[in-house]
Amino acid sequence: MQPSRDTHATLVDLLDRVLDKGLILNADLMIHVAGIPLLGVKLNAALAGMETMLKYGMWQDWDEAQRSIATEERRRTLRLAPQEMLHLSRIVR
Amino acid sequence: MEQEKGRYLYGVAASERAVRLGPMGIEGCDVYTIPYEDFCAIVHNCPTEPYQSTDEETVKRWVSAHQGVLDEAKERFGAVIPFGFDTILQPGNEATSPDQVVKDWLKGDYERLRSIMEKIKDRDEYGVQIFYEPGVIGRQIAEQSQEIQKLKEEIATKSPGMAYIYRQKLEKVAKAEMEKLADKWFKDFYGRLKPHCDDIVIEKTRKADGDRVMLLNLSCLVHKKKVDSLGRELEEISNMDGFSIHFSGPWPPYSFVAKPVVPIKGE
Repeated sequence: MQPSRDTHATLVDLLDRVLDKGLILNADLMIHVAGIPLLGVKLNAALAGMETMLKYGMWQDWDEAQRSIATEERRRTLRLAPQEMLHLSRIVR
Repeated sequence: MEQEKGRYLYGVAASERAVRLGPMGIEGCDVYTIPYEDFCAIVHNCPTEPYQSTDEETVKRWVSAHQGVLDEAKERFGAVIPFGFDTILQPGNEATSPDQVVKDWLKGDYERLRSIMEKIKDRDEYGVQIFYEPGVIGRQIAEQSQEIQKLKEEIATKSPGMAYIYRQKLEKVAKAEMEKLADKWFKDFYGRLKPHCDDIVIEKTRKADGDRVMLLNLSCLVHKKKVDSLGRELEEISNMDGFSIHFSGPWPPYSFVAKPVVPIKGE
């Protein structure tokens, strides 16, 4: 059996991955983005500063549990309001 | 440019080269690399606003472009650590240039990036979903279960009222058998796939189309030498009566770059 990437069914696989996964820069960031109602939120304002991340070494101390909660939240939000999908964002300031 | 202070991040590759990949990014943006030591970030310049749209086609186009850049980067540089959609860096103050922010980040996160790169080298991610057809499996269960056979025989001898109660009991027993079997299959299939994978993430199952139930939804990190043997294992499972498989990839290792690096051996 050969893996495939070209069918319509694999588009879901792609969206799942690109929108939900990938390298993450900051725990707080994800929690903020995922944990609050996304409608009309000014994302930039909610996000932690890069200096802060460096200072507290959050990249190194990344907490897997927090991440899975965030991912869960994010998915739930996506299901509830798919039209809001692209309000999800990860900007690091 | 003043409005282009953001750097949209596609991924990180193991290359010390500053190169241009061309206008292949989201909305045709010029993609290039920003190196720090032996790593480089793959980026395009953008305003410090997230990409947002409520139009599904636009989203798909953006996501495909994101994936396209990662494909090209993999072609050129080998392994690439992927970012999710809409990961954008911007300078915290006027004095720092956007490119410098990216370099600073690469520097600060260097050790973690190195260990992730080690883990994903020569490997790709594959999506594996195993489905079963309750109709087919239900018939098999009915044929094999003595309890169900017995209940069926008893129904034939009962009054219509009692037969109704028995049928309800029969349904309950059949459902419990199905769940027991699903549990057994899950463990069985997982055990069969595991030797072909360096790491596995168990994903939530989704509602399947048609008369199918998704039993197993896995993201698998697979060494390039083991893709064929994984394919053969899946082939065998899909040949079983009542089962089908969706096998997608290769993908960048999206599911394996965010969690702490722990070796799977010894599990």
